[in-house]
Amino acid sequence: MPPSATTTPAGTGRVVAVTGACTFLGGELLRRLEEDPKYSRVLALDIRPPALAPGGKVEYVKIDLTQPTVDGELATLLERHQVDTFVHGAFLSHPTHAADWAHELEDVGTMHVLNACAGVAPRRLVMISTSLVYGAHPKNPNFLTEDAELKGHRDSRFVNDKVRAERQVQRFAKEHANVEVCILRFAPILGPTVSNMYTRFFSRPIAPVMMGHDPLMQFVHEQDAAYALVRAVDSRATGAFNIVGKGVLPYTTVLALLGRVPVPMPQFVARQLSKVLWATQLVGSPPSFLDFLLYLCVADGARARRELGFAPRLSIKRTILDFLGVAPEDGATDAAIAQA
Amino acid sequence: MNDDDDDTNDEWYGEADPRVPDAASVDRIFGDRDLGFLEDDVYLGEEAMIPHELGGSHVPSRGERESAELRELERRMEQHRTPVFPIDLRRRLPLEAVWRRWRALAMWGRSDVVDDFGRDPRATARWEWLFEFLYSKWFRVQASGLEHIPSRGRALLVANHAGSLPYDSAMVMHAVRRDHPSRRDVRPLVEDTVFHLPFLGPIMNRIGGVRADPENAERLLMKDELVAVFPEGEKGMGKLWKDRYRLQRFGRGGFVKLALRTGAPIIPVAVVGAEEAAPMLGKITWFAKNIGIPWIPVTPTFPWLGPAGLLPLPSKWYVQFGAPIDLGKAHGAAAAEDRLLVNRLADQIRTQIQTMIEGLLGKRRSPVFPAFLG
Repeated sequence: MPPSATTTPAGTGRVVAVTGACTFLGGELLRRLEEDPKYSRVLALDIRPPALAPGGKVEYVKIDLTQPTVDGELATLLERHQVDTFVHGAFLSHPTHAADWAHELEDVGTMHVLNACAGVAPRRLVMISTSLVYGAHPKNPNFLTEDAELKGHRDSRFVNDKVRAERQVQRFAKEHANVEVCILRFAPILGPTVSNMYTRFFSRPIAPVMMGHDPLMQFVHEQDAAYALVRAVDSRATGAFNIVGKGVLPYTTVLALLGRVPVPMPQFVARQLSKVLWATQLVGSPPSFLDFLLYLCVADGARARRELGFAPRLSIKRTILDFLGVAPEDGATDAAIAQA
Repeated sequence: MNDDDDDTNDEWYGEADPRVPDAASVDRIFGDRDLGFLEDDVYLGEEAMIPHELGGSHVPSRGERESAELRELERRMEQHRTPVFPIDLRRRLPLEAVWRRWRALAMWGRSDVVDDFGRDPRATARWEWLFEFLYSKWFRVQASGLEHIPSRGRALLVANHAGSLPYDSAMVMHAVRRDHPSRRDVRPLVEDTVFHLPFLGPIMNRIGGVRADPENAERLLMKDELVAVFPEGEKGMGKLWKDRYRLQRFGRGGFVKLALRTGAPIIPVAVVGAEEAAPMLGKITWFAKNIGIPWIPVTPTFPWLGPAGLLPLPSKWYVQFGAPIDLGKAHGAAAAEDRLLVNRLADQIRTQIQTMIEGLLGKRRSPVFPAFLG
């Protein structure tokens, strides 16, 4: 579907509001919308101004989704600027110890956004979610489709807040047929500039391995992810979409490509150690994250390809090497092949 | 981004090296800033320079390509000047020479591309000698009926199951890879209890095993793969010596539904010899649940000889592939919803495999006999 398929009233241009404008995806979206003549105005909503210098089209509005009456503020804003597309991306990219605040922001913040959208309906609502909402479970099939149940995680508030937010949005979509609701579930994003739980985890020289377990992993390159978001804003597709990269690799191969030293440990040791390290705030990944090193959580991107017209460009290997900042010619594997 | 009609494909291919940004355009944007870093490690390759194309062989116009290239360069330039957090720390670890050596070493015996279900070609090649040894020297497998396996297209192998470790699925896999003219790869479906076993599970996954799950099986068949199922599952593996070669209930007929839905022909497979390789005299259940397995097998060698007792006894094996049964053609895909029919078909196939096994047992002179003659 070419971008021109979207309906734009001649002369006016679309108005887009973006919450979480300072997140990686939010910033990339602003940058790309600014280049696109189809959009006449972009509202960047966050608690601090986005890094991008506003160049006329982008207008920063301070919005704190944890404030109790922010829904009214948002509704006024939507009304005044005649917002056409609302992008809700105010979600945390890494777990935090301030779990109550995170809950207010992600779960309750989504409620505020939906309240505003119920009052002043935009044409389109795009929500940024993650494929972690499926959770890593021993019974997961190799490829989770969008219809799979959102099991979340037994004791991860980081994941469960997102699951709750997504359920609210799904309910909203059912009740408000006049709004096109699109949910994007991104696989973990890797790349040279993005910062999230996975990039922090892989930045350490050593990484824990659950002894005797080696699940397949999946990532999406930051540029592919940003492009998918633009597609979602552009297109008229509705429903949930998995946004994933090309290919999968076993966890230990990912570590080998990254040159990280795997530290195999029995499960109970890993869990105790992880609890201590998390409680003392020495690492950024909570104990529940270990399940993602035990079981599969890989999503199927076929629906996004079919209905959203998004296909990833970069393979998982290239994504990993780009995260490292290594040119493909200089890959470790080439050396390995030469030696073999 | 709109297509510029004036731009032709020739322009795109005509340039000396499309991967290297045009010097003039770089100068225009970046002036005299130091671009040394561009040369070594920000190059993402051709793929990254081409704007996304949705649905086919679109060749980007010059305008599209340039703006994507320049956007990428600009972004990285900015990033280089004002890193959000120290990227160099993550890129270059101390002792880079050592680190590079380590990476090369860590990639030994594994490839950097696996298929969708985790099969690693290099790891498969690494274990090949073991299967060949078990197949031709240890079990002296005699395979027959391989001509029933199609050389292309989907098919569902349905086999009986025995033994505390899935040697039978390995031998079925190896028989097809070794003796079938088109050397096809069989993807055996592995029960949860085995798939999640430490060490063994990941190895099975790397050499082609897939977790037994209806969605996985359907996806594999839709990709025209050769899938092997063991419908007895855990019940088959837990059979005692006194029940040897007596087929257990064939699950809930999931494999019949699968064949009906995907139109894959069913190829019945009888494996004889696996029962004697690990004769289960009894099983201990009271402690097993605590270590995550359904039971601890008691065989003539295990647990008396420790881990060495898990090695199979050198029994004589026969593997017979039967003629394909095309359920899809006979009953149609909608029949998958007919529970009575599904169960009846499952039982028919079970009876057929039972008959095949009895035929093989009658032919076999002794479970160990040829071993004495070499």
